[in-house]
Amino acid sequence: MKNIIILFLCLAFGTTLQAQNQVELTGKVKVEVDGLSCPFCAYGLEKKLKDLNGVTDIKIDVKNAFALLTVKEGKILSEETIRKKVKEAGFTARTIKKVIDEG
Amino acid sequence: MRELSVSVFLFLVVAVNVLAQGPPIFTDTPIMLGLESRGVRTFGNIVSRQKANAYIHPVAFPYNITNKWQVGIVAPFVSISSDGIGDRSGFGDLQVFTKYQIFQKDGKAKTFRGLIKLTEVFPTANNSEAPALGTGANQTNLSLVTGYVTTKYGLYTELGYNATSDNLPDNIVYKLAFGYPLLPQKYPPKQVNIFFELLGNYVLDNVGNNMFFAPGIQYIAGRKLLFESGVQLPLGEASPEGQKTNYVLRIGTRVLLF
Repeated sequence: MKNIIILFLCLAFGTTLQAQNQVELTGKVKVEVDGLSCPFCAYGLEKKLKDLNGVTDIKIDVKNAFALLTVKEGKILSEETIRKKVKEAGFTARTIKKVIDEG
Repeated sequence: MRELSVSVFLFLVVAVNVLAQGPPIFTDTPIMLGLESRGVRTFGNIVSRQKANAYIHPVAFPYNITNKWQVGIVAPFVSISSDGIGDRSGFGDLQVFTKYQIFQKDGKAKTFRGLIKLTEVFPTANNSEAPALGTGANQTNLSLVTGYVTTKYGLYTELGYNATSDNLPDNIVYKLAFGYPLLPQKYPPKQVNIFFELLGNYVLDNVGNNMFFAPGIQYIAGRKLLFESGVQLPLGEASPEGQKTNYVLRIGTRVLLF
């Protein structure tokens, strides 16, 4: 019985962690990127983010240091996957959050 | 002394400057991605000296193995016209290099990075007739490249030791660059950058110091293309009279292929 409870807690805890790591990505996602200091270097970031399955559009704001991703409806990307791609491009991802359309 | 002069001449113009891959124009950058990812850089250097003129056109092919590790090859075409000696053209010394990023500290719209760069210059040029197209010696250069780059300005440094074979004197290479964007930052980029660089080469064995001031301008035409031009003006040279540099003019482009 004890083992079953432990197993249940592990599964529940693991699922919660995984859920926290998922971003509801139908719509626009803002990725704040540290280290983005020159526009010509941003090409590498754009190129890597384009590799993400489900991303249909990318806008990069160098001055305010973020990338805005448009994710196809129904596609789910994990925050970890986005962070990994940003790292591969040579930058550091800070906050990743869904943008709520107002109006 | 002539050998030495040729060595210094080619080292300054080809071995070091060709390998500068990112902004700024003559000094190297520690930012390897974006600008250097599987791209091609080529440019022409017009070198005017007191008794010789040269046109050097290298093509550099860098390749990123990882986001922190890069290798590359540089093949220069050299055309020299020397007073009283004659004219010659052909391929210069072949170079290979590797770079590895050793630190990276990122912040919002800024980054501070550093890398180690190892360059090997092979004496592949044809030196059977004068004027020689290469040094005739192996050169091994180990450098530390750092950069503090923000969206408002960039500061870059390069410090390296260049060991030469065939009893030619070794060199200590030092560079400092300041870059400033003239237009608002945006992406896709349309930008004009200006650079002010100090380029130095201290030749050991009591030969002396060579130093140049190098202003330059760079136009970023889009995601994958930029044009740039800069000029090296001598502040002081250890070269013997008759072989001193009047100026080095560079006009070039960088293209990201994919």
